[in-house]
Amino acid sequence: MQTLEFILGGFQSVFQIAAFLTVVIGLLVGVIAGALPGISFVNAMAMALPFTYTMDVTHAMLFLGGIYVGGVFGGSISAIMINVPGTPASLPATWDGYAMTKKGQVKRALTIAVTASAVGGLISALMLTFLSAPFASFAMKFSQPEFFAATVLGLVSVIAIAKDKPVITMISLLIGMAIGTVGVDPLFGQARFSFGVPEIESGIRFVVVMIGLFAIGEVIDLVATDRDLRPKKTEGKAVGASFHDILGVKGAILRGSGLGCIIGIIPGAGATPGAVIAYGVEKQVNPRGAEFGTGVEGGLAAPEAAKNATTGAAMIPLLTLGIPGSAATAIMLAAMMLQGVNPGPLLFVMDPSMVYTIFAAMIIANILMIGAGVGVAQIFSFLMRTPPAILAGFIVILSLIGAYGVRNNIFDVYVCLVFGVIGWVMKRVGFPSAPLVLGVILGPLAERYFLTSVANSHQDYTVFFSRPISGSILFIAALFVLWSLWPSVRARIGRRSAAS
Amino acid sequence: MTDSYADGAPERDSQSNTSENQQGEGITARLIPVLVPALLLLASLILPGFMFHAGQRGSLPGLGPGAWPGAVLAALAVFSAIWLAIEIWGFAKSRKSASLSAPHDEDVYHYGKAIIGIVLVIAFGWLLPVLGFPLATMLFLFIWCLYGGLRNPLVMLLVPGIGTVALLWVFMGLALMPLSRGMGPFEGFTIALLQLIGIY
Amino acid sequence: MTLYHSLKTVLAGAVTAGLITPATMAQDYPQRPIQMVVAFGPGGGTDIMGRQIGKMLEAELGVSIPASNVAGASGNAGLTQMRTDPADGYTIGTLISLTVASWAAGLGDSKPEDFHVLSVVQNSPSFLFVAANSPHQTAEDLFAYAKANPGELTVATSGYGTQDDVTLKLLARDGIQMENVPFQAPGERYASPIGGHTAVLYEEPGDIAQFIEAGQLKPIVAFSAERHPAFPDVPTATELGHDISGLDNFRAIAVRAGTDPAIVEKLEAALGNVLASEEWQNFCTETYSCIEPVTGDAAQSMVTDFLQLITEQLES
Repeated sequence: MQTLEFILGGFQSVFQIAAFLTVVIGLLVGVIAGALPGISFVNAMAMALPFTYTMDVTHAMLFLGGIYVGGVFGGSISAIMINVPGTPASLPATWDGYAMTKKGQVKRALTIAVTASAVGGLISALMLTFLSAPFASFAMKFSQPEFFAATVLGLVSVIAIAKDKPVITMISLLIGMAIGTVGVDPLFGQARFSFGVPEIESGIRFVVVMIGLFAIGEVIDLVATDRDLRPKKTEGKAVGASFHDILGVKGAILRGSGLGCIIGIIPGAGATPGAVIAYGVEKQVNPRGAEFGTGVEGGLAAPEAAKNATTGAAMIPLLTLGIPGSAATAIMLAAMMLQGVNPGPLLFVMDPSMVYTIFAAMIIANILMIGAGVGVAQIFSFLMRTPPAILAGFIVILSLIGAYGVRNNIFDVYVCLVFGVIGWVMKRVGFPSAPLVLGVILGPLAERYFLTSVANSHQDYTVFFSRPISGSILFIAALFVLWSLWPSVRARIGRRSAAS
Repeated sequence: MTDSYADGAPERDSQSNTSENQQGEGITARLIPVLVPALLLLASLILPGFMFHAGQRGSLPGLGPGAWPGAVLAALAVFSAIWLAIEIWGFAKSRKSASLSAPHDEDVYHYGKAIIGIVLVIAFGWLLPVLGFPLATMLFLFIWCLYGGLRNPLVMLLVPGIGTVALLWVFMGLALMPLSRGMGPFEGFTIALLQLIGIY
Repeated sequence: MTLYHSLKTVLAGAVTAGLITPATMAQDYPQRPIQMVVAFGPGGGTDIMGRQIGKMLEAELGVSIPASNVAGASGNAGLTQMRTDPADGYTIGTLISLTVASWAAGLGDSKPEDFHVLSVVQNSPSFLFVAANSPHQTAEDLFAYAKANPGELTVATSGYGTQDDVTLKLLARDGIQMENVPFQAPGERYASPIGGHTAVLYEEPGDIAQFIEAGQLKPIVAFSAERHPAFPDVPTATELGHDISGLDNFRAIAVRAGTDPAIVEKLEAALGNVLASEEWQNFCTETYSCIEPVTGDAAQSMVTDFLQLITEQLES
C-alpha cells in the first residue's frame, strides 16, 4: 500500500510542467540519437551529463531516463526503414521489420515496433516500481558463472534463429568471436593479433563492425538495384497498423517483455542479448515461426518488446544496489553521484520520494515514447522521400561518422570500410552476417565471464554446472539447441527413409 | 535451404538470376565455394601462431590470454573442415555450391555500379583525415550525386553545400565531436570554415 | 592551367598563413574549442574527472572544452591521439596511473617524455574492502586467515600486471597469499564481494563511495604511508608491518610534449585556479581524491617514478 502512495506522489512530481518537458526533451534526443547510425544514445547521455549539473537530481534522472528509453527504441527506426540498425539491440528488427518495409508496409512495421517497445518498457517499469526489492536480492545471487551461462544462451539462440544452415551460421558466429578477441585481453592486459600495430591493440569494436557490414553493404545495394523504399501508395492513408494488428501480436509482445525483464536484471547482459534471445524463442513458439525473416509481425514485435523491457529491469540493480550493468546506467550513476546522491539500499530509506519520482518518470516515459517514436519516424519517412542516390550518400557519411564517433578514432573508420567490403561480398554470396556481429558482441563477454569464473573458483571448471542457476541456464541452452534443430533433423531422416 | 544439402537441383533457377552469375559459370566460379572454406580452415590453423606479436609475457596464472582465442580458432577449424567436406561432396555430386546461394529477391543488379560505389566510399574514408571532414564530405557528396545520376546544377550545388554545413552543425557544433580537420593547409582551411559558420 | 595556378596560389597562401600563426598563437591562445581527450569510456572515474575539469576550465579560458572519449588498450588509444595531434595546445587529455602501469606490462608505445604533465589533479591510495557481512572484519583477521589458508581468499582486482597485482604480490612475499581475480567491468568487480562471491575487493575509495556510505563495503587497510584523512580509523599496511606504498592511483592532465611554453603556462595557471576553487574541492572530497596540486617537473617525475616502480616490481 505504501508503494502505491509513493508512486502517486511520484506521478504528481512528474506532472509538473518542467519535469514533464524534461522527459519529453530527453525522449526526443534519445530517439533521434538512437535512430542515427552516427550517434549512439550512450554518447548522447554522456554529452547530456554536463547539462544535468544545473538541474536537481530528480530532473537529471528524468532527462537521462528519457534519453535511455527513447534511445533503446530509436535504433529500430533506421533498422526498419533502411536495414541499418541504429543500435546493436535493433539488429533483430532488421530481419522482419525491414522485410516488411520491402513489402511496402513501413508504417505498419514502425507502429508495431513502437507499440511493442512501449508495452515492453511499460511492463518493465511497473516491475521496477513494485518488485525492485525482491528482484534485487535475486540479482545478487548472480555471479560470473551465471553471466557466462546467460551469454551462452545468447550465443546458441543465434544458431536457433538460422536453423536451416547450422554449419554456416556456426562459422559466421565463430569468425565474429575470433574478431572479438583482437586487441588487449580483458584479464592479462596483453595485446592479441596486433601484428605490432598500436591501433589494433585497442581492439575492434562491434559497433564499427556492425555499421560496416550493414550500412555500407546496404547503401551499395540501394544504388546498384532499382529498389524503392518509399511507402507504397497501396498502404492507404491509415497511420499504419490497426488495433487489430497489435492484438494479433499480443502474445509475442508479452513473451518478449517477460524475457526482456528477466535478462535485463542481469548486470552486463542488457538489451542486445535480450532482443536476440527473444527472437530465437519467438521463432520456436510462434505458429508462423518458419516464415520468420520474411516480414512476420511476431518476429518484429517480440525482440522490440524485449529490448525495451530491459530498460526498467537494468535500473533495478542500479537503484537498489548501486551497480550499473551497462554504460547507460553507469552514466546515470555518475549523474546521481555528482549530485551527491548515492544509490543503494539506503536511498529507498532516506529519499523514497525521489526514487518513486524516477519510477513514475520511467512509466510516463514509456507511454510518451509512442508519441515521440511516431513523431521522429514521421520526420524520417519525410527524409526517405529524397532521391535514393542522395539518401545513400548521407547514409555513407553518417555511417563513417558513427564508426569514428565510437571512440573518436580514424582507425575505426578504416576498420569500418574493410567490413563494409566484406559485408557486401557476404551479402552477394548469401553468407549470413548477423551471427558474425553477434559473435563480436557476445564473444568478448563470454571470454571474460569464463576466465573470471574460473579464477574466482580456484581453477575449478565444473563451477558452471555445479552452481544451480548457472547449471539450469546451461541446461536450458542445451535443450534450446535440440529443440530448434529437431525439425530439420527429423525432416532429413524422413526424407532419407522415404528415398530408401 | 534445408533441401540444398540433399538435393541441389531446385535451387538452380534462382542461382542464375543475376546476369553475372550466368557469365561466371566457368570452372573457377564453381570452385570458389570450395575455396572459401579451405581458406578459412587454413587461416584458423595458421593464425594461432600470430597471436602475440612480441611473445607472451613470463609466467601467467590460470589459462593465460591465449586460451580463449585458441579455442575459438580450433572450433572454427573444425566447422570449416565440415563445410569443406559438404562443399566437396556437393561439388562432386551436382557441380554446384551446396550451402551458399545468392539472394534472389532483386531482378537486376548492376555489379559495375556497385564496384564504383565501393571505390567512392573507400576513397571518401581514406581522404577524410587528409582533407578534413568538411572538404572531403563536400567533394564526396558532389561526386556521389553525379554517380547517382543527378544532373540538375542547382541540386548539385545545394546538396553538398547545405548538407555539409548541416552535418557540421549537428556533429561539431551540437554534438561537439572532434571530427577530422585535415592535415597541413587543409587544417587551416577547415578552421577558417568553422570560424566562418560560427562553430569555432 | 589557370585552375592549377589559382589552386597553387590558394595553397601557398594557406601554407604561409599556417607559418605565420604560431608566432601570434601563444598570445591569442585559446581562440577555438580545446579538445579534452578522455582516455576511458563514458561513466567511469576518469570520464567524470575529465568532464569536470573541462567544464571548469571553460570558465577560466573562455572557450568551450568538449570531452571526447577515446577509450581502448588501457587508455593508450587516447594517448596515441594526444601524441599525434599538433602540439598547439588545442588537445589536452587525461593521463592516469593505470595507463602508466600498462606501459610496464608492454602495452602501447607511449613514453613519459611524449607528454608534458600539466598537473596531477587527483590522487588516492588503494584499500582492501570487505563486505559488511564478511567473516573478516579487520585487516589483522584477514591477514591471519590468509596466512593459515594460503590462496583460499579471493581478491577482486582490475587485472593481472596492474598495480593491484603488484600489491598482492608484495603481500604474498610477506606470507599473505590471496588469489587475484580480475574483473574487467568495474560494476561487476564491486558487486562480487557484496554478493559474497569474492572475499575481498582491492579498489580506491572514490570509485565506490556509494557502497562505503551505505555500509555495504568496509575499508580495512590502506596501502599508503599515512592514514587517509577521510578514514582515520583504517590502519595502513605499513602499520601492520607490510611496507607497501607509492602505488597510489593518480589522475593527471597532460598535453603533448613540445607545446609552446607560453601556452603551457596559460593552461597551468588556469588549472591552478580550477584546483583551488571550492567547487573542485567539493568534487575531490566526494571522491576521496584530494591532493595538493603537483605541477611542473614534480608532476613529470611523479609519472616516471611510478613507471619505474611498477616495472621493477613486475620484473622481480
